[in-house]
Amino acid sequence: MELHRLGVKFFASDPASIHLEDLIPVFHGWIQRQVIPGHVLIDVHDYSHIQNGPGILLVAHEGNFSLDMSDGRPGLFYYRKTPTALPATEHIAAIVKSAVQACALLEKDAKVAIKMDEGLVIANDRLEAPNDEATLAELKPAVAAALQQVFPGAAFNLSRANSDPKERLAITVQRV
Amino acid sequence: MPTWKEKLAGRMDPQIAEEVDVFETQIALRKAGKMDEKVFAETRLRRGCYGQRYDNGHRHDGVRTQQLEFPSDLTKGPETFWDAPGMQRIKIPFGGLNPDQLDTLAELAEEYSDGILHVTTRQDFQLHYVHIEDTPNIMRRLAAVGITTREACGNSVRNVTACPIAGVCRSESFDVTPYAKAAAKFMLGHPDAQGFGRKFKIAFSGCREEACGLTSLHDVGCIAATRSENGNEKRGFEVYVGGGLGAVPQQAKLMNDFVAEDELLPLIQSIGRVFARLGEKKNRAAARLKFLITKLGLDEFRRLVDEERKILPADSRWSSYIPDVARYQESPKHGPTHLNGQQRPEGFEKWHLTNVYRQRQEGYAAAAITLPLGDLTAAQARQVANLARRFTGDNLRTTVEQNILLRWVSEADLPDLYRELGRAGLGEPGAGTILDVVACPGTDTCKLGIASSRGLAGEIRSRLSERLFALDESVRNLHIKISGCFNSCGQHHIADLGFYGTSRTIANRKIPHFQVVLGGKWQDNAGAYGLAIGTVPSKRVPDVIDSITARYVRERKGTETFQAFIKRIGKQECRAMIEPFMEVPAYEKDRSIYSDWGDPREFTIGDMGVGECAGEVISVSQFDLADAERLVFDAQLQLEHENYTQADSLAYRAMTQAAMALVKTQFIDVGDNADVIVAEFRSRFFDTGLLGDRYAGNKFAEYLFRRHDSPPQEHTIDQAHRIIEEAQLFIEATYACHDSLAERGARGMVVAPVHSGKAAGKL
Repeated sequence: MELHRLGVKFFASDPASIHLEDLIPVFHGWIQRQVIPGHVLIDVHDYSHIQNGPGILLVAHEGNFSLDMSDGRPGLFYYRKTPTALPATEHIAAIVKSAVQACALLEKDAKVAIKMDEGLVIANDRLEAPNDEATLAELKPAVAAALQQVFPGAAFNLSRANSDPKERLAITVQRV
Repeated sequence: MPTWKEKLAGRMDPQIAEEVDVFETQIALRKAGKMDEKVFAETRLRRGCYGQRYDNGHRHDGVRTQQLEFPSDLTKGPETFWDAPGMQRIKIPFGGLNPDQLDTLAELAEEYSDGILHVTTRQDFQLHYVHIEDTPNIMRRLAAVGITTREACGNSVRNVTACPIAGVCRSESFDVTPYAKAAAKFMLGHPDAQGFGRKFKIAFSGCREEACGLTSLHDVGCIAATRSENGNEKRGFEVYVGGGLGAVPQQAKLMNDFVAEDELLPLIQSIGRVFARLGEKKNRAAARLKFLITKLGLDEFRRLVDEERKILPADSRWSSYIPDVARYQESPKHGPTHLNGQQRPEGFEKWHLTNVYRQRQEGYAAAAITLPLGDLTAAQARQVANLARRFTGDNLRTTVEQNILLRWVSEADLPDLYRELGRAGLGEPGAGTILDVVACPGTDTCKLGIASSRGLAGEIRSRLSERLFALDESVRNLHIKISGCFNSCGQHHIADLGFYGTSRTIANRKIPHFQVVLGGKWQDNAGAYGLAIGTVPSKRVPDVIDSITARYVRERKGTETFQAFIKRIGKQECRAMIEPFMEVPAYEKDRSIYSDWGDPREFTIGDMGVGECAGEVISVSQFDLADAERLVFDAQLQLEHENYTQADSLAYRAMTQAAMALVKTQFIDVGDNADVIVAEFRSRFFDTGLLGDRYAGNKFAEYLFRRHDSPPQEHTIDQAHRIIEEAQLFIEATYACHDSLAERGARGMVVAPVHSGKAAGKL
């Protein structure tokens, strides 16, 4: 499976404390300092006017970061757009690491705490990864191995988040 | 794993599939350095692949201009890095789409963009932050559901637009939908439409009076008309030509008061041929059809088109679609019903008041989905597609007000539809009201944006949303439209309250401003264009709106429209209304005004400072520039009083005054002789390229030269209106040049010596 388009979301600990507009200067600051390794940070986009939308978006050449409001559950979302030339497990691990780095920065710069015990991995490619059990079976081991690389020793439950074939394949990750 | 090309084989129109393959090859050729960047740029534009802000690799981050280190040096056009994400525009002829198409658009937004679909003021969709390598698969997936991006940008026939209520409208002559569809199909890729010097826009409207088609601002505007012949009703169109907004707006002129339906396509083709043959090719600023018609005169243009029509080789497509017109119909999902005893959810009445249009067909309604700033998420798009399947059949339209319209809703279904829209976060009322602010992308993503049109629009929306229904009804139904620059993508000229972005420099700091444009007319297919009355800082615009609308409510006479009110009180009073908001506090007192809405970066370029010598000269020049602004405003007053000769003269003086202001930065003793000023300006700022910014070039200087060299033979309202617009733009350009010189001086670069000699200082 040649799946480089992949997203990872970690959820906010205290959604009520989030004020989207406060994130705009924070993300601009990240661009000023180009603080995320391996990423050319380009611009900030305000989508706070849309219910359950991408919230505040930080656009990079390699992928987009956002304080995402999808499904009414705020969290740090990172979508990888470009390949990394790494094997599948390492590619996924690199994506998770980028998301974790962004979460740490968010907590430090914006005082937005992100939980690391629950997440979502989204295969953002309906051709390579249709939303079915066969794809889940194929992808799950790579995701599990990648999580082990990023969180050594931790155990996770992985399950399919929804079965609507129009939706992308999404895997719910629960720490046990 | 199959590729999209393999998976979708047989589901795409073979010609479009081949075109996408060719484009994919062109991408590969450009990557291999075997295709010129300029050629590739026009190639991708004709496929709807547009550049975005910062794709030149430069970005001011609030502290300094930063070089964005994209992975490769490859470009996809002049000063446009290959790896910089761009915009993909997607044509939706007459705004019509079905649920499957909307589902596909949602998938593309998620997989290749930022999860957002943006509806434009010309019924297109746009995806932002798209990588060029992904565009062939985007195009294939669209082609598989019958959508093409071909000629969505570039010097081509752009999306053919039409009233979104065509076919269900209570006041139309007939449904223009099948005609708009036929025109779009006929002109797509037509050999006679490949040699244009600029874009070419066509619009259809079912009636003259409403705004929906906006035919007056199009190159070709077609308004449905009928005529009785031998007792039979014959269908045709009033055809208007040469309209356009942009920097210098012009109203389209009536070219033919009745073109029979079977003559419509050959007429459009003939117009295209004349435009391709005689239209300007080198100077983009004068290349739209409106300039050709102004140059030739309408009668001569009409004669040339008629001559072209006579020699056109016959084409069966001109009339082959007409038998299908009578059969064209949309099938509603449910039978007609009425809103009788249904339980109405909270908020329904307000939504119904502003968002529901009672169709001509008894028992049906068209429901507008208000999209804030024209945006919806991929998830929302899927929900809308499902609602269309459930309530309306296949009947969706995008609108020029950046909304989506669900047609053929059985009236008794409206409460359920409203509940479902609310669950999707799309149940907001206010469609077509003052809350429904239209804005172009502005500085968010557009390379040409000067100020944040979307930021301002968002702020206005948030201030008005709570009190929309507390507003006087006369104010509630006003239109606000905002452009990020003078190019008018936000259609500010036709709003009751229009704004376009600009900047001013005070005490060596830039401040985002908006020109306030009043007097535009939305109705009558964009029946009149407003004029700028002055600039206010961006952060003051919401207060300006409150002030102007409050006065309108206080002083309105009977049922006086806003446009009539503005005309009655006059430009002087309009100007006086905004003057209290024009003042800019010192940076030390209020820094907020030195940044734009939704963007904390200071609205400056670099660490500015001005040397004493240059500073003195700049002060003199700023004084002259302010005087030029005053003169152009006086010209507006004369226009208002129908003194067209005076208006022209003052606008011309405003231009020479602004030119003099710049010349004085190098040659302080230039004097006030217009011939000398123009000659000095030409040699010092035009020939040297010093005036032109990278996008506008020297086009604004040509307005001055044309007026100086060829004074008008007759003075008309159109001529006076145009010269005022040109003078305003010329002054904006001189301001920009002046600021640029100041910055260069501050950075220690040689600008030019201030001297009393006459030799032009080449820079």
